Amino acid sequence: MEKVLKTPLASPKPDEEVGNGMSKREAQKIRMQNMNKAEIAYMRRSRLFAVVWPIFRFLILLGLCFIIVYPLIYMLSCAFRAPEDMSDPTVMWIPRHFTLSVIKDTMSVMNFWDTLGTTIFLNVGCSLVQVLSCAVAGYGFARFKFKGRGLLFGIVILMILVPTQVISIPQYMLFRYFGPFNLINNPLCMYLPAAMGCGLKSGLMIFIFRQFFKGLPKELEDAAYLDGCGPFKTFVKVMVPNAKSSFLTVFLFSIVWYWNDFYVSSTFFTKNQTIALMLKNLSTLLSQALFNNADVSPREQIVWMEAGCLLAIAPILIMYIFLQKHFTEGIERSGLVG
Amino acid sequence: MKMGYEKRKSMYGYGFIALWFVGALVFFMIPLVQSFLYSFQDIRPDTGGMVGEWVGLDKYNYAFNVDPNYRQYLVTVLQTTLWKTPLILVFSLFVAVILNQKFKGRTFARAVFFLPVIIATGPVFNIINGNMASTGNSDASQFSTMFSTDLLGELMEFLGIYGISEGVQTTIDTIADNIFGIVWNAGIQILMFLSALQNIPVSAKEAAQIEGATAWEYFWKITLPNVSPMILTCFIFTIIDSFTDPNNVVMGRISDLQMDWKYGEASAMAWIYFSIVLVAIGIVTLILNKFIYYEVD
Repeated sequence: MEKVLKTPLASPKPDEEVGNGMSKREAQKIRMQNMNKAEIAYMRRSRLFAVVWPIFRFLILLGLCFIIVYPLIYMLSCAFRAPEDMSDPTVMWIPRHFTLSVIKDTMSVMNFWDTLGTTIFLNVGCSLVQVLSCAVAGYGFARFKFKGRGLLFGIVILMILVPTQVISIPQYMLFRYFGPFNLINNPLCMYLPAAMGCGLKSGLMIFIFRQFFKGLPKELEDAAYLDGCGPFKTFVKVMVPNAKSSFLTVFLFSIVWYWNDFYVSSTFFTKNQTIALMLKNLSTLLSQALFNNADVSPREQIVWMEAGCLLAIAPILIMYIFLQKHFTEGIERSGLVG
Repeated sequence: MKMGYEKRKSMYGYGFIALWFVGALVFFMIPLVQSFLYSFQDIRPDTGGMVGEWVGLDKYNYAFNVDPNYRQYLVTVLQTTLWKTPLILVFSLFVAVILNQKFKGRTFARAVFFLPVIIATGPVFNIINGNMASTGNSDASQFSTMFSTDLLGELMEFLGIYGISEGVQTTIDTIADNIFGIVWNAGIQILMFLSALQNIPVSAKEAAQIEGATAWEYFWKITLPNVSPMILTCFIFTIIDSFTDPNNVVMGRISDLQMDWKYGEASAMAWIYFSIVLVAIGIVTLILNKFIYYEVD
């Protein structure tokens, strides 16, 4: 107690610098003696907030994370249990009869490896060319002034707004009678639009790239121009390396959208088998393969359906886990800000 | 002949967008115009293309007055969008503000919250939703059954708002029942708000601290004005996302008609729907633009 009284009151410097040997609490007490009522109230409030808020935040996040992760846990729990566990009321999360047979059944029904191959071939390829074409267009909109730019960018906005369903019939006819060719069932009818910046949600991607390139400093290009680079060389050599994180983000979006798309692939392909399409028809496929076409309630199919979901998202989930860090960081720099 | 620098640059601009422009013309603009024309025609496929007979506004008349479900579907979708959009926006802003703070496990929390972006767009979401519904596990009551009490009811009783009025009660119940859908549809909006939050100038934060602003005041005076341009973007995105979701009933009806080769009807419905979306977005933009705060450089 005596020691405290000896120390100078309310030093303007932080306690560590003064080195008066007070504990933080004591220093706080002394400082508060010199404050007026409003200041003290403010400090009390902010300190109370600092203590209570993290607890609340933790609870809120825990609850919401639970809602998000819940279906995944449910999937995992269902996919590895024997069907009879579904009607066993004592089984909540941990299956009593652990089995791999459900997963195996589902894989054979979905023709999993072939389907995966087709999906990856369409998906990754389209995503790659789409990202490239959108980046080029986005750069054009971001950095060059030309007549009709506003009007043309209006088309980009329109592309974001118009749902695919509105234009799918004329598009179908276009591919059916593409000059002398019939492109239905040909991968080209997904690759061509993607390569020309008109694939799935391309408008949104051009928009993101434009915002991003607008945010990069102009000096980057000016330096390159002075060194005698043409605009295309500048784009490839200077801008692209600077936009890595943005590229990664958009690429991930693109992969996810193509992966989950069943509308476009079911419109332009009559016998195509992508994962999303398989999953959509899984219920029918299951009753054909496992129940001899008998009319089964969805309840009896749950284990296989959940296993199908798990199989369908597993590749993307694994990719996400590996790229997650770049993904969440990339978004912050991707120029999504409007 | 040598062109001026500005002119040459504009030529390069055309060069950069040329590929996209050709693509947009062939794969987007022409089909768009065609589908608009289809909506006035009796259309059927023939070798070499579509043949149509001009029937004027017949198909629009069909959509509104003959089709048994279309009008009702339209109202349903509009209603759902109307109450879901603000909820998603408020929720995603709230989560973004939380995720923007520094705390332990933030990276993990972010990874979890972006998970719906990866999964929620596909048929997976339907199956999850459908399955959980068929086991009675889709809504808030699932949590109650897990802890074998009516948690939500007790919470409301605790807060003293149980049974205040029928309206409040229903609203809270609806929100609680749909929390799953809201959380799962908010992924991209959370991302967008998060990136906007990170662009709030540090100087604003410091000034607020020196002036002694509470977290509450800080949110209303600093955070909200700064993210307001993003609110508009998110609003539009949410509306489009909800309207163009292949799982909503109007989209389902349009697809069904296309399967039946009724292209004229399908096109007319699609165009009615599309113009409603456009008008809705236009109105929202006009209203929100009054409240948006743009940082003046």
